[in-house]
Amino acid sequence: MIEAKLLIIDDEVEFASTLCQRLCLRGIETAEAHSGADGLVKIEEFKPDIVILDLKMPDMNGLDMLAEIKGRDRKVEVIMLTGHGSTASGIEAMEKGAFDYIMKPVDLGELLNKIQQADHKRSETQHDN
Amino acid sequence: MIIDAVTENALRHEQVQTFGRLMAGFSHDMKNHLGIIRESNGLVSDFIEFSEMGGDETTMERMQKAIASIERRIVVAADLLHHLSGLAHRPDAEYATFSVNELLLEEYTFLSRFARLEQVSFEVHPGENIVAVHNDPSLLQHIFYRVFDLCLDQLASDSSLVIRTSMEGRSVKVAYEFSLAIKVEVTTVLQAAIAKVGGMLSVKSATDACTHLYLIVPSLPGGFLED
Repeated sequence: MIEAKLLIIDDEVEFASTLCQRLCLRGIETAEAHSGADGLVKIEEFKPDIVILDLKMPDMNGLDMLAEIKGRDRKVEVIMLTGHGSTASGIEAMEKGAFDYIMKPVDLGELLNKIQQADHKRSETQHDN
Repeated sequence: MIIDAVTENALRHEQVQTFGRLMAGFSHDMKNHLGIIRESNGLVSDFIEFSEMGGDETTMERMQKAIASIERRIVVAADLLHHLSGLAHRPDAEYATFSVNELLLEEYTFLSRFARLEQVSFEVHPGENIVAVHNDPSLLQHIFYRVFDLCLDQLASDSSLVIRTSMEGRSVKVAYEFSLAIKVEVTTVLQAAIAKVGGMLSVKSATDACTHLYLIVPSLPGGFLED
């Protein structure tokens, strides 16, 4: 059971909205944002525990957005979405504080697995504090 | 207008880079479209699974079958695009440290199609513990394609080609194994390309035909790159 609140930030509206519905169907409290700026507003309003963040968005680079999210709240876990051919961009994001990354098109089983791991890490961190 | 050799070379390099960047952009967009198709397909499947859609059992079963078929094709297309992105990004750096196995498998996705059309069985068996080499990935990509094309031209239908990799000293040995003897005539352009990556192409021959072809791919030291 995933108890974390999830925010999807991706400028592909159809993608974000469909993924949001699929996660909601699985009992995960999920919200969506379709730009970097919209994402930052939703982070303040919705207070997610985990953010699924697209690496490439027109208004904000995913890595800058990652730094912004982590700067506001280090406890928020970020899973990057990358469409690149190599794993280099995902690894770079992890070096900059992302929990993990996942390649597009997303395999839901794989994503759920990563969300579960991020949720587990978050619970452990809360427990330690 | 006459262009000098250095400018001509730089122009060619830029052309390859442009082509690579356009291809990378294209594959990135296609991945986004596939992502949406996959999620929409998954959502329909979820509606059936979570019983939000009414309908008789046979219809539901047929729908699940169609959904599974779409999902399978998405996985194949995503794999192709993943390799296309990799292929497109190879000219980004003139020299890089990379895995020859990865480069070969990337091309295999596309080369297997040509082999299938010629009814030639084609497999790539990447060896274990193959160390990364420092070389020109884009030029090697080109050499792999040219050697493959040279071989495929000679192979008859129902024959086979297996490519294996192994280590030979600090270099990677790429072996092309044919099920029948073929004649290989390497063009001067291909020879020049192999020389530029510091490689060597040799044949294991029986009279004037060969059954095995070996391409040695070395790791270039820094000094070699500056020459």
